[in-house]
Amino acid sequence: MSAMIEVAGLRVVLPPAVAAVDGIDLVVQPGEFVVILGRSGAGKTTFLRTINRLVEPTAGVVRVAGRAVTGADAAGLRAARRQIGMVFQQFNLVRRASVLDNVLAGRLGYVPALPSLLGRFPAADRARALECLSQVGLAHLAGRRADTLSGGEQQRVAIARALAQAPAVILADEPTASLDPALTADIMGLLRTINTERGLTLVVSQHQLQTALAYATRVVGLRRGRVAFDGPPAAVTPVVADAIYGETR
Amino acid sequence: MRRAALFVGLVIFGWLLWDTGADPVRFVRGVPWMLEFLRRMLPPDVQVLPSALAGALITVEIALLGTAVAATLALPLGFVSARNVAPPRVFYPARAVLNLFRSVDTLVYALIFVAAVGLGPFPGVLAVVAYTTTSLAKLYSEAIEGIDPGPVDAVTATGATRLQILRYGVLPQVLPLFLSYVLYRLETNIRAATVLGFVGAGGIGFYLQTYLRMIDYPAASTALLVTIVMVMAIDALSSRLRARLV
Repeated sequence: MSAMIEVAGLRVVLPPAVAAVDGIDLVVQPGEFVVILGRSGAGKTTFLRTINRLVEPTAGVVRVAGRAVTGADAAGLRAARRQIGMVFQQFNLVRRASVLDNVLAGRLGYVPALPSLLGRFPAADRARALECLSQVGLAHLAGRRADTLSGGEQQRVAIARALAQAPAVILADEPTASLDPALTADIMGLLRTINTERGLTLVVSQHQLQTALAYATRVVGLRRGRVAFDGPPAAVTPVVADAIYGETR
Repeated sequence: MRRAALFVGLVIFGWLLWDTGADPVRFVRGVPWMLEFLRRMLPPDVQVLPSALAGALITVEIALLGTAVAATLALPLGFVSARNVAPPRVFYPARAVLNLFRSVDTLVYALIFVAAVGLGPFPGVLAVVAYTTTSLAKLYSEAIEGIDPGPVDAVTATGATRLQILRYGVLPQVLPLFLSYVLYRLETNIRAATVLGFVGAGGIGFYLQTYLRMIDYPAASTALLVTIVMVMAIDALSSRLRARLV
């Protein structure tokens, strides 16, 4: 089977001259649950955001599910993004819109453009959005305004939005950093279910070591924009943890 | 430094007093005339109430139609003059055009449009549209620049087109603000429209000016009272609506 995510020679230099990602090569196979570990500022967020080009890389190649992400034109990039769901630390829901409308946004890459601009979605897409909402256990809140939900519920809605894209990959950028420990287990458990039952490939960034080890099938440690460790969770020894997190080089 | 600034300020203030012919004595001498003016305005002439009300209705119509058209025309302009949405080669010219048109007041536009299309409410509507479109576009663009980028990122990540991103990531965030600005503009346009009649662009101002010219002060005071009641009523209604929006 061919690789799901291929990253080669990736560099991102943010103005004025900070190398947030400083030469990353990474191949992720279908069905992996990869947790990206690292201190804040290690480049986790920037790395994830270059995979769907929310951040434009300075150099390097990204391919996802056989499609070129780097070098793609506008239409090609949209087609690539469609198969990459993304979940954010701050949930990033449209606060004033209903829960269902937020999930329907996940269908935007599929539905006819003009009716969608008028707020109309085909019945099949509405059904699909509702189905994704029930998968995260929130079908009963479909009509509520997004900002009336709790943090944990909002993150579930965001996951439903990503699922509505029928993606091959889900990227999650610190999805539990704004949540308490119980909700962290809740959201990570939901992501694991998606990984095992749907076979979706997951790349999740985490700054908490214990959470990472509990859910990952593979751990990638970033330090100063480079891969400092890449292996199974069992191989993350105190020495390895120190290489990722330690104060000294 | 501070003393020098104070000195320069005092010099400028003195020069302004001198150059505008400001004279407290002249003002005090004028007070009896103002009281005489007020006395002549009372009691208001109720016979002209129907025409004053008709004029007020036209004024409200000018403001409503002008604001509605401007609110719509300003939408695309607001987006192309928002820094975080429009590319720089669109943004900079758009901002320049907005600032140019905004520097001319509604009343000046009315003079131009009365000359162009003749007397009546229509040039008044055009004047309100001309000024309000650009001023709302500026307010819209500032609202757009103040949005939370998170939802925009999220919608972008779904593979949405540029227009879909605006519709689903930006518009829901700014729409309540837009409506609030439109209502605020409606309030100021009602006030602006009352003087449009002075230059021949229709409404209550036309009656007020005619009565004053005919030295019919009781009739003028009726027109003035109708104006005050109308402005206060619209203000109260509009600010209630605005309070419910945000």
